[in-house]
Formats: sequence, C-alpha cells, structure tokens
Amino acid sequence: MSASAFSHKPHTGRQAASATSRRSFPLTPYLFLTPYFLLTIVFFLYPLFYATILSFYQTNGPTRKVFVGLANFRFILSDPDFHIALRNTLLYTILSVTTQVPVALALALLLNARRDKLKSFFRLAVFAPNLVGSIFVGILFSVLFVPRYGLVNRTLQSLTHHGLLIAWLNEPSLIMPALLLASLWMYVGFNMIYFLAALQSIDASLIEAARIDGATPIKVFWHVTLPSIRPVTTFVVVMGTIGSLQLFELPYAMLRGFGPKNAALTIVGYLYQYAFQSGDLGTGAAVGWILTLLILGASLLQLRFLNRGQS
Amino acid sequence: MTPLQLTILALIILGLPIAVISARLSRGYYRYLAMIFVAVIMLLPFAWLFCAVIKDKDILNAYTFLPPFRDWSKTTLNLNNFRDLLQPHATMQGPVSFWRYILNSLFLASASTTITLFFSSLSGYALAKFRFPGQRLIMTFMLASMTIPGVVLLAPNFETIYHLGWMDTYKSLLVPGAVSVFGVFLFRQAFLPVPDEIIEAGRIDGCSEFRIYLTLVLPLVRPMIGAFCLIAFLGSWNSFIAPNVFLQSQDKLTLPVILNQYVGEYQQQYGVFLAGTLLAILPPAILFFALQREFISGLTTGAVKQ
Amino acid sequence: MDYPFGKAAFWILILALLSGIGVAALNRSHRVHRPDLVFLTYTSDHANVYAPLIHKFERDHHVTVDLEVVDLAALQERLTAAFQVHAEVPDLVELGVVLMGSATKGPLEDVGFWDLTDKIHTAHLDDQLVSARFAGFSSRGHIFALPHDVHPVMLLYRADLLAKLHIDPSQLTTWDDFTRIGRQVTKDIDGDGIIDRYMINLPDDSHDGLQMLLLQKGISLFDPMGNVSFDTPDAAETLCWYVRQTEGATRISFNAQGQQNLCRCMIDGLCLFYICPDWRSRQFQLDVPSLSGKLALMPLPAWSPGQRRTSTWGATGLAITKACQHKDLAWQLAMSLYYDKNQLGPRFEATNILPPLKAAWTNPAYDQPRTFFSNQPIGRLYANLAPFVPSDYANPYTSIAQAKLRDAYLNTKLYYRDHPNADLMPIALDQLHSAAASIRQIQSRNVLLETAH
Repeated sequence: MSASAFSHKPHTGRQAASATSRRSFPLTPYLFLTPYFLLTIVFFLYPLFYATILSFYQTNGPTRKVFVGLANFRFILSDPDFHIALRNTLLYTILSVTTQVPVALALALLLNARRDKLKSFFRLAVFAPNLVGSIFVGILFSVLFVPRYGLVNRTLQSLTHHGLLIAWLNEPSLIMPALLLASLWMYVGFNMIYFLAALQSIDASLIEAARIDGATPIKVFWHVTLPSIRPVTTFVVVMGTIGSLQLFELPYAMLRGFGPKNAALTIVGYLYQYAFQSGDLGTGAAVGWILTLLILGASLLQLRFLNRGQS
Repeated sequence: MTPLQLTILALIILGLPIAVISARLSRGYYRYLAMIFVAVIMLLPFAWLFCAVIKDKDILNAYTFLPPFRDWSKTTLNLNNFRDLLQPHATMQGPVSFWRYILNSLFLASASTTITLFFSSLSGYALAKFRFPGQRLIMTFMLASMTIPGVVLLAPNFETIYHLGWMDTYKSLLVPGAVSVFGVFLFRQAFLPVPDEIIEAGRIDGCSEFRIYLTLVLPLVRPMIGAFCLIAFLGSWNSFIAPNVFLQSQDKLTLPVILNQYVGEYQQQYGVFLAGTLLAILPPAILFFALQREFISGLTTGAVKQ
Repeated sequence: MDYPFGKAAFWILILALLSGIGVAALNRSHRVHRPDLVFLTYTSDHANVYAPLIHKFERDHHVTVDLEVVDLAALQERLTAAFQVHAEVPDLVELGVVLMGSATKGPLEDVGFWDLTDKIHTAHLDDQLVSARFAGFSSRGHIFALPHDVHPVMLLYRADLLAKLHIDPSQLTTWDDFTRIGRQVTKDIDGDGIIDRYMINLPDDSHDGLQMLLLQKGISLFDPMGNVSFDTPDAAETLCWYVRQTEGATRISFNAQGQQNLCRCMIDGLCLFYICPDWRSRQFQLDVPSLSGKLALMPLPAWSPGQRRTSTWGATGLAITKACQHKDLAWQLAMSLYYDKNQLGPRFEATNILPPLKAAWTNPAYDQPRTFFSNQPIGRLYANLAPFVPSDYANPYTSIAQAKLRDAYLNTKLYYRDHPNADLMPIALDQLHSAAASIRQIQSRNVLLETAH
C-alpha cells in the first residue's frame, strides 16, 4: 500500500521497467502472479460475492433465507447503535491519527540524532508494545485501568494526588481516552520506525547545505526534513486511517464487550455483534459493505489531499 | 509534593547549571532525559508485568510493583504462575503442555513468514519489473482489497475451509494468507530501484526468469526481506480470530488462543495469563533485537526511496 | 557462511523446518473416521471433569467420543457459521443462554438443536430437576438443552470483620435493613477523602448485578413468549435502588472490576459483602486461600419480608444437535455426565456447583462443613435456596437487552449525579420504557418468524 501513496509520482524505475518488458516473455509476470490470483479468487472474491448476496437476505440456520431487499441497509442506517458505532469509529480514527503522527515523528527525531550507545535500547523500548498482540494489550490494559488497584490510577495518584478512583472503563466519557492511550502506547513504535527510516534516508548534504546557508534548526526541519519525509507521512496517515476504521480487537478485549452506553462499540464491533452474536449474517454483510465504502472514500480523499501540491 | 513529583522536578532543574558550562551538553542532557522519560512510560507496563508474574496471586494487587523487601518470601514471591502455566493439561489428545503451544505458534509464525515472503516477493517482482496488460488494474484492485475488513469474509471463508476439508489443520491458516498484499507492495517498492541491467545480464546468460528473480534480484533487497520477516512474523504470532475459529483440537492451538482461555468469563487466572504473555513476548523480542538494523534500513529502501 | 537472503530469512526458514518436524512428530495419528460423537464444551474446568467419564463411556459402549474445549466466543462464531453453511456440527454442545437465544431466532423447525421436550417428559426429568432451570434453554415451550446447574445466589461476607463491627448477618433479612447498616459501615476511616470501607461489591459496569436483583423480584428480561418484560414500575424501583447504592453520597458499594481486584478488595476488607453464585464460591477458595475461615455465606436479603432470598447468575446447558447421527447414544452420554447421582456428590466437592437433579442433594457431600467457609455446609445452604431460584428465560435478543438495561442504569445514574435530590422514579421508568421500545423495534425486524406461518 505504500504504492497507494506514491503511485501518483512518476519514478525512474517504471520507465526502465517498460524498456525491459517489451523484450521479455509476456507470460512470466502472469505466471508469477498466479498464486495471488488463485488465492484471491478462492479466499477473497468468492466470499466477497457471497457476502454481497447475503446482505440482501435475512438468514437463520441452514435452510431459512428470506430476501429483504435493502431492508438490512435501511435498518442499519437508521439504527441509533450504528450511529454510535460510526461516531466512535470516526472519532477514534481522527484522534488517533492526529496524535499518533506527531508523537511518532517527535520520537523519531529524538532517536535519530547521530550515534548513541543506547539508541538500540531506546528503539526497542518504544517498539516493544508491538511485540504484544492486540488481544494481550487489551486484556493487559483492562487490568492497568482498574480503579484503586490499577497501575495507571496508582501512578496518577502518586503524581497528582488524584485519580485513584477513576473508573476508566466504566465511565462512557473516559473510555475513548483510555482507548486512545492504549492504542498510542501500542502503535506509536511502529509508526516511529517508519519515520526513522524516512529520516535516515534524507540526503545529509541537503541539511548541511541549509545549515551553511544559516537556516535555524526549525527552518531546516520545516523546509528540508518535512518535505523529504512527505511520502512516508502520507503512508503512515493512510495506513493508520485504514487500521483505525477497522478497529475491533483492542476495545473488545479491553472491555470484554462494547462498554457502557456502547462507548467502545466500533463499526467492526457492530458487525461482529450482528453476524456472530445474533447470527444475522445478512446484516453483518451489509455493515461490511458500508464500512468498505467508508474506508475507500477516506483513503481516496486523503491521498488526493496529501498528494496535492506535489509535482 | 509527592516524592515522584520532587524527583521529576529535580531532574529538570539539574539541566540548568549544566547549561552554564555548555549549551551543547545541556541539550544532550535534556535529550537523554526526554528519551528516558519516554522509555519509562513505554516500559512501565512491562515492569508491572514482570513483577506481577512473580507475585503470588494472593498479593497480585496489593502492591503496584513488588512488596517491600522485608516482606519478600516464598509465599509472596514465587514462580507458581509459571508452574501452573507449564503444567500439562489433560485433553482428548492426551496431556498437552504449554511448550506444545509455543511449538505450534513458532511453527505457524515461521512457516507462514517463509511462505508469505516467497509469494509476496514473487508478485511484487512481477509488478515492479515487468510491464503487461492489466498491471494497473491489478494494482488498483490490490489497493482496494486492503480496505475490506477480514471479519466480513470470515463466515463465507469458514464454508470454503470446511468444504476443502481444512478445518482443524494448519493449512486453513497458512494457505489463505500465503500472499500478503501489503508485502507485495513493500517488495514492489523495493524492487523498483534495482537496475534492469542485472536482469538483462541474467537473460543473456540464459537464466530462467524464476532463477533471475531468486538468485539475482531477491538477494539485492535483503534489508526489505529482514523488515518483512519481522512484520509477517509479528502478524502471524499475534493473530487470534482465525486460529480461534479454524483450529479445534486442543493440541493444535496457538498461544493467543490458549492464553485467552485463562481469562474467560467463568475463570480468571490473571497471574497465569500474564506469565504466558511474558513467555509469548520473548520470541518476537529476540527477532526484533536481531533484526533492528535490517528492519529500519529495509523500510528505508522500500517505502521511501523512489 | 553467506546468507543470500539475509540471516533473518535463513533462521526463520530453519525454524520453520525444525518446528515443522516437531509438530509433525508430535501429531498423534488422529482418528481417520469421524468419532461416533463429538462433544464441545467451552471451559477446561468442565472438560477435566468429563474426560475420565467419557473414557469410561467409550469403553462401556464400544464407541469413540471426541471432547474439545472451544472458547465461548469461538464456539458462537463457529456454530453460527456452521449452521449457516451446512458444515459439520458437533453432536453435543455445552452452551450458555446467550448462544441458545441466538439459535432460537427463527421458526422452531429451524432450530439447529434437537427438541428434547418429549424425551425429557418421558424420562420424568421435569419432576426430578429444578424446573426453573429449563427456562434458559426453552423457546416457545420447547426445551433444547439439559440444564447443567442451578446457580443459586447467596451473599458472601467477611464473617470476622462483621463480628468486629457487631453486625449480625442474620438480622439483615431485607434490603432495607442491609442498606441502613450499609450507610453506617461505608466510610472514610483515615480521613484522606477516599472511602476505605464499603458494605458490598456491586458490579455496576455490567448488566450482571442489576439483572440478578431484578430476577430476585421475578422480573426476567423477557417473558416465556419472548416479550420484553422489564419496563415495569417494580423494575424501575429496583433500578433507582441500584443507582443510589452505586453513586453519590448514598452509595454503599464499590465495583472492583474483575476477579483479581475483587479478591484484593475482600482481603483488604474494602468490601464486606459480595453477591456470590455457587460457581463463584469456588473461585474464592482457589484465589484467596488466605481468607480461609474468614468468609461465610448467607441468603440474599429479601425485597420485602417473607419474599424470595435468592436469585440466579449464569446457566450452562447441554444441547444435542439435529444433525447428530446417534441421538440416543448422545442422550445416554448426556445422562451419564449430567444426572448420574453417584457422580454428583464428589463433583460438588470439586466444583461447588449445585446440580439441578434434586435427588443428588441427599449425598453427604452436600452436608460437609467447609473450613474455608467458616465450617458452613455450603452445599446444604445453596440447595435450600434452589427451589426458589427464579426463571431466566432465553431469548434471541438477550445480549442486546442486557446492553440496553445497562444503558438505562447508566443514564439514570448520570441524572442522579447531577440531581441528587430529584425524584428518580419517573426518570428510571422512562429509561426502561425507551430501552424496551428499542428492543421491540429490533424484534419487529425479524421476518423469519412471519414467513414460517
């Protein structure tokens, strides 16, 4: 998907490739892509087709299938629970992307500076949460966020003399902050690595030249560093958005459900609830389609916006 | 003021006299301070985890980290959680010990990494180094396919897996994930800058197209291989929903599935769960430590350079 | 050595090969033929108890039975998908009320489980078992699973601390008495602004506590015919009571969230009481051995004098699928696992779970004084309450109703937080009405039932 971010830019590789291919056997690339084609047909296109058909039906058990037309879609779009799920998902996506990106970039800048003996330790420290799966992180944080005995509450208490009794996972208004904290902790390391990779590939002579011209560090950052890492920023934003819109495991494990007043209900959670907890696969499939359109729209919008101004 | 507040304040003030001696030194000091601060926040849950697993369940929540030194004893700090965790459980497949789940997880993660690595790089190579009708369409389709959440396809895929007779086999997990679209794109990016002369030279030498890919081109993107290995390994190691649905026999289950059972609705053994989590972190941690440099340089060549 | 694809890929490949050999070597030759019966349960606690019995059953009947443990969520996903796509389903399944509810959403003939109503009747099981326990596994008068347990509820308390506070638990016969004493007990002892002692632990982050107290009044979320039945003034009164005990200056309860915090809270004496079903009493025995001899059980206080002193929390049942090829064999297995009187004595000692077979309670194991519970014969205590356990009816929309009930509670609680002196009754009733209305709307979407007629 990195290509999604960059395909709008012409690159040198492509012209060279076109020169090669004209003389090569035309069958080879298809042959190399055959495993992909096969798997996609069996495990992607077919189930997708099946799910599309299902979304127009109400189903139950092996024999009962009733065609309901657009009723599933109509119900979802008018269901207050879906509105909550949509609101939560969008809010989470916006807040998590806008906090992740600057924090990850700041950490990357902090860790990028020259030779450090401790650099690899710090890198590991920041990346460490990624070694733990989202189910573990969810369960872990459900323990850390507990009133009176949880690590978060105890730390807050010893820092500020307040907060020992905050019921993070029991107050609808506090669930989103708790979720954002947990996901920041979990994902910021990976995004930092992307930025770190980008920072290290910046041509050092560019920065040196700007310094010699007397640019302040802030100016260098703004005019040299930021433009150079733009493709990676696009990549991190788009990937972060896609991932956030599909959020499910983390809140589900953290709250063992969807939280009070559905404060942790996401769109995929809503889908899961219908498809698997009430066995209504048709409604589940319809939700899936709505989500897909949403993600597609968001990604296209972001790519257009973020690639604007690039030649 | 609390002791914690005092310590933080003292550390910040300490930088000021250093600034008098050398501005550069004090910048370095604050940079380190910031890094340590970040590291402490990131590692605090791990520190808690380390302490939690050696505490007896009786005092699990009595102290944030460890009890005061005078209370240290066999009844407060012990390895009971590990003992309970590693004890073989009777199942219909005979007694199964925790090591079995580790072995299963290791196998699934490493096998799926190897398979995905091969097929994804092969597809990525085709897209980067050839020009053919339908290429753009395939790329657009791949991009669009990433926007569809896996849960949507779970129920229909269940049917497919069932009719193929793959329920309760590792095929049900290895085959559908054999090509990662994300990996295809990473490798495509990595292959783009590889000079075409190398491929041409291979053809002149009479190498088959597959040989050119495997022996001439693939070794050139070694850092990306390293980076992708880590990404793929982590993804498979921590995957939960698919193994939870497709695997059945107790002796085939993976770590996340089995650990999740320790915190079910009717029984919650947090100490044992946390001990298992700690063991589950080790393999990917070793991998990351070994691969850090390749990981970052792999992403540098892959995602950034154009 | 030269690594053409990097060290990482090389070592991962080696690891894949080695672990592959290991996995292949350890893989016991799985049965080539499908076993005669496949039995799925969701907790290894049950599996450990059943495994030896199943082996005996296999020997006695010369058949093969596979027992598998599947996480409850995975069980739900798998059954839903399997019923949907004609995939093979297990022959016997242990399940909870939520799963049973979702399986009975369509017309009766579409339920994937075998209708046991006649079988139960001819075996005279309806007289021998606690009849209320069929409620969780019935739909429109038809029974689809055998009840595993009774799960009566009692109050667990710190007997030693109550004695110090000169509180006599036998005097706490109504919730009014309980609340009155609770107000005196709940306080900030050391004056740091944080309350150090609560009367009781109430789980206000889930539907569990409130639903249990409603059941004590006989209010189930749905009636036996599937109609929403919790939007009554009586229920609203309980809701108001629950809000007042969990919020603001009037609160007497703390919510520890999760078993391990609950244990801490009982050890510290932060809470004196806990609403404890039979299965949970066993958890305490395992998790807080240090409290041995300091805990005891008493019946729930009644809502008004002379009324019911218990309720119920959770239920497990055993269903036989329609697809099962050997239904009679499955039935025999079910009988031997669930209702073999000789088994149920030792099993109670091991699990603390009261079986629904009334004849089993005469076993001396139920009168055994337990050191952990201050020498109380807890089997007898739970069994004495068993006949009064209320019916909790299964419904396809149970999990949605539970979420809506919790929302009604939360909204009322938020209102109370802002208006501590207001009359809560109209608010609570209004909240229950709107919760019920939204469930009825979701129910009305079900076109499957109409097409069946």
